Amino acid sequence: MPAFNELNQAAGLIIPEIILIATVCIMFLTGPFLVSENGSSPVGLKHRWGALALLALLCSAFAWLKAPMTDGSVGPFEADAFAWYVRGISLGAGFLLTLILWDQTDDAHAAENFACLLATLAGTSFVALANDLIGIFLGLELVSIPTYILLYLGRADWMSREATIKYFLLSIFSSAMVLFGLAWIYGVAGTTNLASIAERSHRAIPGFEHGMLIVAQVIMIAGISFRLTAVPFHFYAPDVFQGVAPSASAMLSFLPKVVGFAALLQILPLCAGAEGIAAWAPTKNQAWLFTTMALVTMTFGNVMAVRQTSVLRMLAWSSISHAGYMLVGLAVATEYGGQNPNEASGQAALMFYLPIYGIVSIGAFAVLAAAGTRTRPLRSLEDLHGLSQTRPALALTMAVCVFGLSGLPPTGGFLGKLNLFVAAWVVNSQLSRTLAVALAANAVVAAAYYLRLIGLMYFEAPKTILEPEPRPASAVAGGICAVSTLLLFASPQWLWNAAAAAVSLVTA
Amino acid sequence: MSQEMLAPLLCLIPAAPLLSAVITALLGPKLLKYRSHIPCWSALAVSFAASLAVLLLLPQQNSAATAGFIPPPDMVAAPEAESGAATAPAAIPTLAPTTAADKPEVVVYIGEWLALEPAPETAEVNPADTIPDKNRQRSGMRVPLELRVDSIASIMLAMVTGVSLLVALFGSGYMHHDPGYPRFFAAVSMFVFSMCMLVMSNSFVMLFVFWEMVGLCSYLLIGFWFRKPSAAAASKKAFVVNRIGDFGLIMAIFLIWTSFGTVDFAGVLGNPDRIQAIAATNSGVITLICFCLFLGAMGKSAQFPLQVWLPDAMEGPTPVSALIHAATMVTAGVYLVARCTPLFVLAPQAQLLVTGTGAITAAIAALIALTQTDLKRVLAYSTVSQLGFMFMALGCGAADPGLATMAVTAGMFHLFTHAFFKALLFLAAGSVMHAMGDVIDMRRFSGLRKALPITHWTFLVGAAALAGVPLLAGFWSKDEILAVLMAASRTGEHRLFFGSILVVASLTALLTAFYTFRAYFMTFWGPEKFPEEAGHHPHEATPIMAWPLRILAVAALLIGLAVGPTHLFSNTLAKTTGLTPFEAHFHLDVMALSVFIASAGIGMAWMLYVVMPKVPGTIAVVLKPFYVISQGKFYLDEILYVLVVLPLRGIAFLSTLYDRLVIDGLIDSLGTVPRVLGDRIRSLQGGVVTAYAGLMWFGLVVLVVICLGIS
Repeated sequence: MPAFNELNQAAGLIIPEIILIATVCIMFLTGPFLVSENGSSPVGLKHRWGALALLALLCSAFAWLKAPMTDGSVGPFEADAFAWYVRGISLGAGFLLTLILWDQTDDAHAAENFACLLATLAGTSFVALANDLIGIFLGLELVSIPTYILLYLGRADWMSREATIKYFLLSIFSSAMVLFGLAWIYGVAGTTNLASIAERSHRAIPGFEHGMLIVAQVIMIAGISFRLTAVPFHFYAPDVFQGVAPSASAMLSFLPKVVGFAALLQILPLCAGAEGIAAWAPTKNQAWLFTTMALVTMTFGNVMAVRQTSVLRMLAWSSISHAGYMLVGLAVATEYGGQNPNEASGQAALMFYLPIYGIVSIGAFAVLAAAGTRTRPLRSLEDLHGLSQTRPALALTMAVCVFGLSGLPPTGGFLGKLNLFVAAWVVNSQLSRTLAVALAANAVVAAAYYLRLIGLMYFEAPKTILEPEPRPASAVAGGICAVSTLLLFASPQWLWNAAAAAVSLVTA
Repeated sequence: MSQEMLAPLLCLIPAAPLLSAVITALLGPKLLKYRSHIPCWSALAVSFAASLAVLLLLPQQNSAATAGFIPPPDMVAAPEAESGAATAPAAIPTLAPTTAADKPEVVVYIGEWLALEPAPETAEVNPADTIPDKNRQRSGMRVPLELRVDSIASIMLAMVTGVSLLVALFGSGYMHHDPGYPRFFAAVSMFVFSMCMLVMSNSFVMLFVFWEMVGLCSYLLIGFWFRKPSAAAASKKAFVVNRIGDFGLIMAIFLIWTSFGTVDFAGVLGNPDRIQAIAATNSGVITLICFCLFLGAMGKSAQFPLQVWLPDAMEGPTPVSALIHAATMVTAGVYLVARCTPLFVLAPQAQLLVTGTGAITAAIAALIALTQTDLKRVLAYSTVSQLGFMFMALGCGAADPGLATMAVTAGMFHLFTHAFFKALLFLAAGSVMHAMGDVIDMRRFSGLRKALPITHWTFLVGAAALAGVPLLAGFWSKDEILAVLMAASRTGEHRLFFGSILVVASLTALLTAFYTFRAYFMTFWGPEKFPEEAGHHPHEATPIMAWPLRILAVAALLIGLAVGPTHLFSNTLAKTTGLTPFEAHFHLDVMALSVFIASAGIGMAWMLYVVMPKVPGTIAVVLKPFYVISQGKFYLDEILYVLVVLPLRGIAFLSTLYDRLVIDGLIDSLGTVPRVLGDRIRSLQGGVVTAYAGLMWFGLVVLVVICLGIS
């Protein structure tokens, strides 16, 4: 029974995800029984679910470390270095997001909340693991659909509902685009298996130079750009980030980006006729497309962020501009990428930037989550006035994370931007040099509003006095983020090695 | 005595105060609070004990040697070998064993602080040149962190740590219940650490670092009561005026580096042949170095015209005035010039400048002190004046290089004795101030000798020592200064110059005796009068304040007698590199002169302020212009304000205008671009879902068109 064996083997590759999904099932199935008809629940129920979620993450992480690696598989999954790296990011983010969610959720909805979060994490890993277009799409949806529920559960006021509905509608729209694009690719290649597509593209089967493929990938990129919050598919971001709970914003600012870039790095090399990420240099079309999008996205994001009065909207625009920085990595990807681990290549710089961005972004939202209260979440910049006097530790955490976001030393954010800049600079074409300069200029503009945030916290008198609500888990998550971004500045080499390995060993 | 014993002792001297500073700064405000003096006391006691041990053990050191935790044999040997090879291959620069035995010194290597490699291309470029470029060959620089102690340093260390310990004891009583109590002791510990490191530094660069550190501590302590505007202004003034001197010092270091190729003391000062060779090839450079060094000394030691900061520095707590602004830090300039004697002996012009500046400073400060009514200011001007005396002596080598050692001995000896009696006077003044409810204006109190007996007796001893009453500390040291001036006025081509300096010095000594006892009589004699701030009954110094006063009084009484006529001081000092032992003898003529001067000054003060207290007022009216000039401190502050500050303010104003209008204008207009853009684009962000979806669709179409257009 070769088919059964194949399936059996494939299941062995995704044990970390199986653990997560199993936990999700347990939570969804038993959760409702612990809550009574009228919605009341035993006090402290959320602590049990939170602990279970953490336990599942720990088991998953253990399985991740022990999971076998494959290379050149034709089965449904390919557990290569790229997948290993993305899984690591997903699990790490999972820990932080679970901590933030812990404080935000109420007892009655805790099971669903944690279950949705774990499902999105599993989806993130699936996208990187998938060896099939359909697998990638399923992974994308495994992130999207629980996200709708997660957003809706976060806060039960009209703003939150409006934001959720907006996200829901536009996300479906974008998913449709992705599916449409993937269908076109299938139409050109005649198969959905990535390995087979790679083989065909490598042998330059007639049709691969066809205009159809160009249109196909543009449609797919447009759909995925929604996840990345790249201009002009970003419109939902400020409205949604502002509306939903900070835990959901933290998740939205990071996980969709990971998923999106993972999907793009899986599919784009195939469309360029390269055999894997390492061998991929963007075609002329791809390079122009990503350069344009990167330039517009980072500039637009930063320009808009300057004038925001809501801290959540500001962070949303900041998230958009960071998508622009990351797109630089795709635009300047190079064929020799990652062969010399110390050589800055676009792919490696992007993979390096992702976790660093995740840490500081989640950290910033964690502080907002910790400083707000259930009845009065932090919204406007005025709420942050004088935070250094009312909540000094939180203000310091926020300051470190904001330093990381703006890319100032001594934080990992500095190294992330530096690598992107160097990667763009060494390509030595006019296009990429322009991109490098634009990146630097944007970082300067961005520093203006980031530093203003720090100024508000440290040099203004407190305006809104909130009765501090103990939210230790969020504060701990923020603290972990702040400390790790500082540590990453001190010893970044291991992460760089992992990032470079992730994009150099892949043979799709 | 073995190296192994001295090395840890040496490290202990700065390490203990540093540890105390760190502990007090970290734990003081929350934990130690009004027990903050404990780490400071214990650290200073340890330092003082270690310094005394070093002072006693050092002469038994039989050769110049190096100890260290990481023995660096090649590194220590390197500078001498290099310097020898680089300059004069003919003159072999190894110290003769007999000389080495005379000059005991210990160097403890702690670590590397700064090491600049020579530029690599010079080796490849130079062989083509026929004339080797000396400066480029030595472009590397190495500054190790080393502690070095020789005779002069060991004397300074013992003096600094001893006075610091007494001042710290006094300070705990004086600063009692001040809210900044921990801050005070942290800063004092830090200061003692910096001062010890300054004295023990083994290179000009390390010296400069700690030169700045003591300046910083001085800044912090002058501005100790920083909420008081005058204190804040005074600390700023001290800092800024010192920058002028630091400019000179740093220029001197640059010059030393370019001409000697090294900055460590052994390489620069320890090799007379080398200095001779450099002076021979480039005659001006040594003089220039000395001018610049002296500019540095002028700033730190408050010499004319940079003396303006020191009287204002009295805004700090009185123990600080005693420690930093009388006994230790301000003498760093004197120490620097004395330490660099091997350079100064080759620069007679610089020495003349040193003596001349010292004389002008001494005379002007003494004249100002005549009419001041603030007790601490009288003492401050007297400090400036006494520092002038020290510099006067230091420059006497210009008359005859053979006099250099005698000159340095006189200057350093006065520094040494001055530290004790001036610290005593300041602490006694502090005790008066403490009793009078922080009033220090001598017109508002008098006749305190019954109310404050201990303060009275100790102040009297200090005043007598300062005035030069025979057998007291100041008598011996001032006597040596006058003697060396007299010797200088009898030899060499500058006889007339030194003759007139001698006259100025004698007159200044007379003024010193007069104004010191004027202050003494005004404060302690006459009808008993207290200001209302003092309460009904002024309280005498508490025991913790009284004992340092007593100890210092004993020191002021005996220390001159103990080490002066016995030649203990001069014999110890002569073991310093660059100094030669000389035959010291008594100068009965000078002694007679100074006895006369002291008694005349004290007698005049007695006549005017005790016997006929009406007369000074009459004199003030009769000599009104002179009185006003003296009272107004020769208007030096105002003159400097017009000559220096106003033009700088003008430039600053123009720069501000340029910055505001041109630079900021440019930046601001750049900054408005994103704002205006942002306002425009905002309308797109309307919040309507269908619009968003439409825009996404539109974006997709645009992207497809772009891509198809490119291909």
